[in-house]
Amino acid sequence: MDGHEDREPLTVDGAQGEGGGQVLRSSLALSLVTGRPFHIHRIRARRRKPGLLRQHLTAVRAAAEVSGATVEGDALRSPELRFAPGPVRAGDYGFAVGSAGSTMLVLQTVLWPLLLAPGRSRLTLEGGTHNPMAPPFDFVERCLLPLLHAMGAHVQVELRRAGFYPAGGGELVVEIDGGHPLRPLERLQRGAIAETFARAQVSSLPVSIARRELEVVHARLGWSRQWLKTERVSSLGPGNVLMLELRHDGGTTLVTGFGEKGVSAEEVAVRTVEEAERFIAAGVPVCEHLADQLLVPLALAGGGSFRTMEPSLHTRTNAELVQRWLPVSITLHDEGGGAWRVDVGPR
Amino acid sequence: MARTREPKPVVVLGLVGSTLDAGVGPKRWGRWRPTVDLCRHEDLLVSRFELLHQPHWTDLARTLAEDIVQVSPETEVRPSVIEMKDPWDFEEVYAALLDFVRAQRFRPEAEDYLVHITTGTHVAQICWFLLTESRELPARLLQTSPPGGRTKGGDPGLHRIIDLDLSKYDQIASRFRQDQREGLSFLKAGIDTKNRAFNELIARVEQVAIRSRSPVLLTGPTGAGKTRLARRIYELKRQRKQVSSTGRFMEINCATLRGDQAMSMLFGHAKGAFTGAVKDRPGVLASANGGVLFLDEIGELGLDEQAMLLRAIEDKRFLPVGSDHEVESDFQLIAGTNRDLGRRVREGRFREDLLARIDLWTFELPGLRERPEDIPPNLEYELQRYAARENARVTFSREAQTAFLRFATSPAATWAGNFRDFSAAVERMATLAPGGRITAKGVAEETERLRRAWGRGEDVDLDRGLIVSVLGEQAYEDLDLFDRVQLAAVLRVCKGSRSLSEAGRTLFAASRRARTSVNDADRLRKYLAKHGLHWQDLHGDGAAS
Repeated sequence: MDGHEDREPLTVDGAQGEGGGQVLRSSLALSLVTGRPFHIHRIRARRRKPGLLRQHLTAVRAAAEVSGATVEGDALRSPELRFAPGPVRAGDYGFAVGSAGSTMLVLQTVLWPLLLAPGRSRLTLEGGTHNPMAPPFDFVERCLLPLLHAMGAHVQVELRRAGFYPAGGGELVVEIDGGHPLRPLERLQRGAIAETFARAQVSSLPVSIARRELEVVHARLGWSRQWLKTERVSSLGPGNVLMLELRHDGGTTLVTGFGEKGVSAEEVAVRTVEEAERFIAAGVPVCEHLADQLLVPLALAGGGSFRTMEPSLHTRTNAELVQRWLPVSITLHDEGGGAWRVDVGPR
Repeated sequence: MARTREPKPVVVLGLVGSTLDAGVGPKRWGRWRPTVDLCRHEDLLVSRFELLHQPHWTDLARTLAEDIVQVSPETEVRPSVIEMKDPWDFEEVYAALLDFVRAQRFRPEAEDYLVHITTGTHVAQICWFLLTESRELPARLLQTSPPGGRTKGGDPGLHRIIDLDLSKYDQIASRFRQDQREGLSFLKAGIDTKNRAFNELIARVEQVAIRSRSPVLLTGPTGAGKTRLARRIYELKRQRKQVSSTGRFMEINCATLRGDQAMSMLFGHAKGAFTGAVKDRPGVLASANGGVLFLDEIGELGLDEQAMLLRAIEDKRFLPVGSDHEVESDFQLIAGTNRDLGRRVREGRFREDLLARIDLWTFELPGLRERPEDIPPNLEYELQRYAARENARVTFSREAQTAFLRFATSPAATWAGNFRDFSAAVERMATLAPGGRITAKGVAEETERLRRAWGRGEDVDLDRGLIVSVLGEQAYEDLDLFDRVQLAAVLRVCKGSRSLSEAGRTLFAASRRARTSVNDADRLRKYLAKHGLHWQDLHGDGAAS
């Protein structure tokens, strides 16, 4: 990064704030884009199983691979890690990820560096694509990517096969033309919700589950049956996901709910609907999950503003971390009525 | 940074669980399958899975292998066919697993092996355990269990590594140390002994007593507590289930065995074996089956008995007197002696092979005089014992206790009979104590008595030991008491003298003063010759009884 010549390793407290894998993943991504090494200690120290777990190691190794990094401490349950990246190289990369570590988490780690590295990259990710513990593929495709395009990024994603938790077995391909500078982005107004659309997907499960979920969506949100769709998807293992899509001036918001063993289809739908209702009531264009994902690209672009719901601990932690890595300041301002304004600007 | 040691790749060995791992349709993903779920743990990375299966589970094994690769791309699965017709047949399962294990080239320095014991029959589980415990298989046990009731669907459940190295477990180790402390205290009859040499000896005895069934040899002067310690060893072994519940403690003093009776007492006899053998008698060896046999003064055992005993120890079988049928008996031998058995061997009075057999664990009990610091705790112990036996509490006056301890630890107190003398002394004082209070006067009387007894040196037992040590059992028996007393006195002087002449001067001092004899040495030489002895016989080594 220009204007950031500091090559002294940055020390990161892995247990700060939310204290989970995201502190590590964001640090890896920011280390790759800045070229600055880092030393993270107390990794997930307050968690039930502290230290590096397999999904975190997968992210570390992916980050190391795209940059030829030198790594120390990349062992299971390791409480600390030293990471010294080399230059990020565009190219063809393939990462197979076990079911618990979603492919989306690996993407979060290497997407930003590859977007900035000049040249074409092709990223093939195998494993879980629809995992309750991470943003699903559709979120990336429909919510995040349009905003990145608006910022000037050249990136496309394609889902070859869905991989539901726990069986995994999914595959997606990400095509990147890197090196295009990112432009600041502003998403302050939502306006009226223009379109609503619900999809209930099942894999190796009765389609009646999907129908029951959509019935709840119709009853609770009053969405027209015309825009409610059941979909059978082919995947290795069974899975069910309900996705509520809301299109508005600020872009697309996706609210997702996953079917779970021992939880009725109706309950899954009610939970999802309630989350959508909270978003609708807040009147903001950016949902809490997207807010989290936008901090890094806006900081890389050098600025931007958006309105969102009350930031999660995840987002606050990420904001603090980004300010340590990049010469930006991020402010989170409570505007009342459940709306918050986030501003990213040069320090 | 504290560099994490490069962890070794984990290799799991496991059997296909024909029930728990079953399923080929999509619904299999909704169930907990130990073999697949074991590869889904976020904190366990399996590099290789050696998946064993019977020939007819090949399809299932293939499905499992494919599923593992999906959920854990880092894992290489290597299926192997293992032939077991009946997975509940212990012998067959053990043999099959042992064959498999022996065919592997384990590299414990490079790989970390875990055996998954959750799949397979209980018999297989036991076999894995045995192979691991015997280190035939250099692995730790890995147990997995399904997720609990309120966890999210898809949770791989729990896994736990069980290391059979018990010393790694704090609680077990501390429990073990406590048992050991209790064992030590038990062997010392609860007496808080201070003598370091003695305490170290007891610690060794404790280790041997609970771990070994081999013979134990207790040496030390008469009254040093050999019998008491032998009995305590037996009782500790019994507490620790090291002897069978029916195994008894049998003790016999070999010095009391004579002639035919010796064989019969030890090995038993058949009815009619000799005059007076009106019915079968089992003998102490047979009675000690499953328990402990204490043979005190084993040096006094005749050569025939020694030969029989050696065979009984080695083969656990022997022939009773007059019987055609061998008897089996499995006992632990504890032998006691106050003699130098090595010397007895050189004299041809003790079998070298028997000594070699019983000399594996030798413990030399020090005499009381060598343990002055243990006199106060032993005094306490004797008083408690008296109180328990007589149901009457006895105490010392402060003055009396000081006086007794001062005497007991003084050079004047030789404690020739060691604990036997000590115990008798306390008992006499306690019995004679007016109103249960031992007074200074009582102590003075007792110390005077002890002085006299030790001063007399006429202990018949001591004479016997001395004479037998140079002339042997038979010659001693053939001597009149008149000659025994004289010979013993002469031998004692000889052993305490540096030369024949010096001994002669001591023995014939009165005659020398009267100038009636000029050649003391010659007179002594002739006396010794009358008993078939030479000066060199008495000074072959410096040992004195």
